[in-house]
Amino acid sequence: MRQKIKSAATWFSDCSSKVKLSMLIMGSGQFGYGAKGKGLLYFLVEVTVIYYFITRGFGDIAGFFTLGTTKGDAWLGVAGDNSVIMLLMGIFAWIVLVAFLVIYVGNVKDAYAMQKRVEQGKQILTFREELSEFLDKKFYVTVLVLPVIGVFVFNILPIIFMILIAFTNYGGDIVPPELVDWVGFENFSRLLTLTRFAPTFFRILGWNILWAVVSTALNYFVGLGLALLLDKECVKGKAIWRAFPVLAYAIPGFITLLAFKFMFSYGGPINQMITDGGGTAIGFLDLDAKWMARFIGLLVNCWISTPSIMLLATGILSNRDTSLYEAARIDGAGRWKQFQKLTLPFVLFSTMPVLIGQFIGNFNNFGIFYFLRGGLYMDGYFLASDTDLLINWLYNLSIDNNYYCIGAAISLIIFLITSAISLIVYIKSPSYREEDTFQ
Amino acid sequence: MRRRIAVLLMVVLAMQTVAACGSEKETAGGEAGKESASAQTQSSGSSVFTGELEQNVTIRVLENDTAISKGYFDELITAFNEEYAEYGITAVDANMDQYLDLANDGPYGYGPDVLYQANDIIMQYATGKHIYPLPVEQMECYSQIPQTAWAAYQTVVDGTTYTCGVPVNVQAPMLFYRTDLLPEDWESEWDDNENQIPDMVENWTDMYEYSISRHAEDSSRYGYMKSLYDVYFSSGFLFTYGGYVFGDNNTNPEDIGFAAGEAEKGAQVLLQLAGVMNEECIDDTITTNAYSKLADGTYFATMSTPDVYSTFLGELQLAYESEGMSATEAEAAAKENLVMTTLPKLPESGDLTDENAECVDTKAMGGVNGYAVSAYTKAPNACLAFVEFATSYEMVAKRSEMLGIAPAREDAAEAAGGIAQMLYANLENGTTVLMPSVQEVSQIWTPAQTFFTDLAKDAFREEDEKKYTDLPSLKEGLEQVDTQIYDAIFTLK
Repeated sequence: MRQKIKSAATWFSDCSSKVKLSMLIMGSGQFGYGAKGKGLLYFLVEVTVIYYFITRGFGDIAGFFTLGTTKGDAWLGVAGDNSVIMLLMGIFAWIVLVAFLVIYVGNVKDAYAMQKRVEQGKQILTFREELSEFLDKKFYVTVLVLPVIGVFVFNILPIIFMILIAFTNYGGDIVPPELVDWVGFENFSRLLTLTRFAPTFFRILGWNILWAVVSTALNYFVGLGLALLLDKECVKGKAIWRAFPVLAYAIPGFITLLAFKFMFSYGGPINQMITDGGGTAIGFLDLDAKWMARFIGLLVNCWISTPSIMLLATGILSNRDTSLYEAARIDGAGRWKQFQKLTLPFVLFSTMPVLIGQFIGNFNNFGIFYFLRGGLYMDGYFLASDTDLLINWLYNLSIDNNYYCIGAAISLIIFLITSAISLIVYIKSPSYREEDTFQ
Repeated sequence: MRRRIAVLLMVVLAMQTVAACGSEKETAGGEAGKESASAQTQSSGSSVFTGELEQNVTIRVLENDTAISKGYFDELITAFNEEYAEYGITAVDANMDQYLDLANDGPYGYGPDVLYQANDIIMQYATGKHIYPLPVEQMECYSQIPQTAWAAYQTVVDGTTYTCGVPVNVQAPMLFYRTDLLPEDWESEWDDNENQIPDMVENWTDMYEYSISRHAEDSSRYGYMKSLYDVYFSSGFLFTYGGYVFGDNNTNPEDIGFAAGEAEKGAQVLLQLAGVMNEECIDDTITTNAYSKLADGTYFATMSTPDVYSTFLGELQLAYESEGMSATEAEAAAKENLVMTTLPKLPESGDLTDENAECVDTKAMGGVNGYAVSAYTKAPNACLAFVEFATSYEMVAKRSEMLGIAPAREDAAEAAGGIAQMLYANLENGTTVLMPSVQEVSQIWTPAQTFFTDLAKDAFREEDEKKYTDLPSLKEGLEQVDTQIYDAIFTLK
C-alpha cells in the first residue's frame, strides 16, 4: 500500500503544471498542449456533468438513499415522491458518476501522455488526426460506444434495479404513492426463516432440477436425432420434412400451450375420442394428475423447443469432416460408435453454450405449467401446485400478491443456483477445456 | 468508405437518441408543470368539484368493449358533446386497453379521465387515491340506486366514508335454458305448483332430478351443465348457506368466510350437481363450449351472465338454421325458446335428493359496473358532468335497451322490466352478493377454484378415493380454502 502511495506521489510530482491543471479543469492540459478541440470536448463533458449534478444528479443520489420523503396524495393535489422512480434515477446518477470518473481518469492519462510526447520531442496529434484514429486504430471504440451505452441503459440499469428491489420493502401495500424504504437483508431472512416456505421450496427445487435436466436432454437429443435423420441421403423431400418442425417453432409458444391444454382437457379432442370409443375421460392435467401432467409438460416443451435444436444441429452437422467417418468405418466402427465418438463430441463442443442456455431457459420455463395447469394450489405445497417450477412459485408469491421485493429476492436465489450450475457445467465441458479441438 | 458510412449511421442514431431524450424531457417538464399546478390547487378530495365547468377541454373516456362495439358509446358521446358544445367540452374514446394501470399511468398523464369498470377494479384505484371521491348525494341518480350498490364504491379514509364511483349496471349469474328441450309432459309432470313455470328452473332439486332422467334417456345428453371451476358462479351456493368472502360486509380480509355458517351444504349441492354432469365440469374448457352445447341440445340448461345472452341466441339460431329453418324462422324460434332467468331455489337442507325440503333463494356473487373519475384529470368538473349525463335515466335506459344490461337505477330497471327488474330486485334484497371491493379479493380465486375443481373431481373418483364423503369433510375442505386465502394475503404482509 505504502509502495503504491509512494509511486502515485512520484507520478504526481512528475506531472507538468498543465496535467495538474487538467485534474481540476478537464481538458485544460490538452488545451495547453495545443490539442484545443480535444480539450474543449473534455471541458464540455465536465461542464455538462457538473450541470447535470447541480440540476438533478445530487438530488437523485440523495433520493437513492431516502427513496422519498413526501407521500403523494392525488386528492389533495400533492404530487409527492415516487420511490420507484427515485430509485431508478438514483441508479442512473450513479452510472453517470462512474462514467464521469472513467472519462476523468482518461482525461488525466491523456494529458500525461501528451506531456510525455512533448518531452520525447514527438508532435501532438491534431484534432483531425485524433478523430481519424477513431476510423482506423480505434475503430472498435467508435462501433462499440453506442451498444455499450445501450447495454448500460437497457440491461445493466434494470438488472441493478431488480437486485436493489430485493433490499427494499416495495410491494404489497407499499406501492407508490406509499413511500418505499430500504430494509437490508430482511426479505432474504424472511424467506429463510418462514417455516412454511422451506418444505415447499425444497420440493419445488427438486422437481425444478429434474425438469431442467430431463427436458434439456430430451429436447437436445430429439432435435439432434431429427437433424441426423433429415441429414440422411435416403430421406426424400428434406425441405418439406424440415418445414414441419419449423412451423411448430414459428407459432407463438403460449398459443401452442393453450392448444395443448385444450387438447388434453376433459372437453378436448383426446378425451372426446376416448369417450367415443367407450372409455372414461382421463384427467390428463387435472389436480390428481401429478406425474402425468409433468410428463405431458415435458412432451409439450419438447414439441416447442426441438425445432430450434434441430436447425442448429443441421447447420453444425453440415460442417462435419466426412473423412473421419470414412476412416472410422474402415476401422470397423458401427453407427452407434460413430455417433458416440465422432458426431456427439463434435456437436456437443459447438452447442455447449446453447445447451447451457437451454438448461437455464428450461429451469426458468414459466409458460409451460402456467398455461397448461395454472391456477391450482395443492395439498402439501404452500401456495403452489405440484407441477409449479420455482419461477411459477415466485410468480404466485410475488406478482400475484404484488410482493415485488420478495420476488426480487427469490429471483436472486434462482440466479445464484442457475449460474452456479451453468458455470460448473461449462468449466467441465470440452467447449472450455479443449477449446482448440475443432479449431 | 464503409467505415465512414458506419460512422455516419452511428451519428444519425446518436442524434435520434438525443432527440428522443429531448422530447422525453419536454414531456417530463410538461408533467412537472402540471404536477406543480395541481399542487397549487390543494384540493381536499371532492372539493375539486366546484361546479364550474372547465371550458374547451377534451375528456378521454374508457368504456366497456361491448358498449363500443354495439354502438352505444358512440351515441353516448355524440349526445353528450351536443349537450355541452357551448362549453367546448368534448368526450372521446380513450382508446385504451380495459386492463389499464391507472396507478402507474395516471400520474404521467396517460390514463383516461373517466373510466367505466367493475366495482372491484375501480375500488383498487381508490386505495391509492387514484380516483376522486364523487359528490354522489348531489347527483340526480343518487336516490334511484340502492344503497348496496353505492356501498360497493365506498371507502373509508381517516374515518370519513367516500364514494368513488357511480353504479350503472348489475351483473349476476343467470340460468339459461331451452323451452323446446322440456319434456312434452312437463306441464303435468314437472309443474307441481301449476304456475306454468317448469319446476326444474324453479328449484335445484327438480333440476337435479331432471338432469338424471334426461341423461338416463340418452347418455349423450345432460340436464344442467356448468364448470364448477369458476368461483364467480360456484361461490353463490356457499353464500346461500351462510358463507361469505370477507367479514364486515366484505371489507375485512382478516375474516375469510368461505367455510362460515353452513357453507358446506352449498358444497354438497355442488358435489351432487357434479354427479349428474360429466367430467367436463372439472376444468374450465366447457365455458366456451356451453353456447354450442346448449344450441345442439347436449345441455338443457347452464349458468352464465346476462351480457352473453346474444351469443347464446346467435348459436341457437345457427343450430336451427342447420336443421333447415330459414334465418327469420330460426331467429324467431331462438328468441322464443331461449330463456334467461334468475337462479332456481335451493333446498334448505342442502340435499338435492330431499324433495320435501323447504326452498330458499339462491344467492349469487355479482358485480356492479360503474363510472369513476381519475384523480389525474385536468377537468374534474367536466368529467363529473359526463358521469351525470351517462348515468341519467335516458342514457341508462338506452344502455339497457342496446346492450341488454340490467340497470342499477330503479326507474330504468322498471322500464326495462323482465330480467333487468329481477336483477335489480336481487341486488336490493341481498340475493346478489357484490364482489368485495378491497384489493385482497385478488387472492380468493386460486384457492377457491382449486377447491371447486377438487369437488367436481371427487364426483368422478372411485369410491375408496373420494375425499368429500360427508358434510364435515366438505367443511374441512372449505376451511382449507380460508386458510390458503389468509396465507396468500398475510404471510408476506
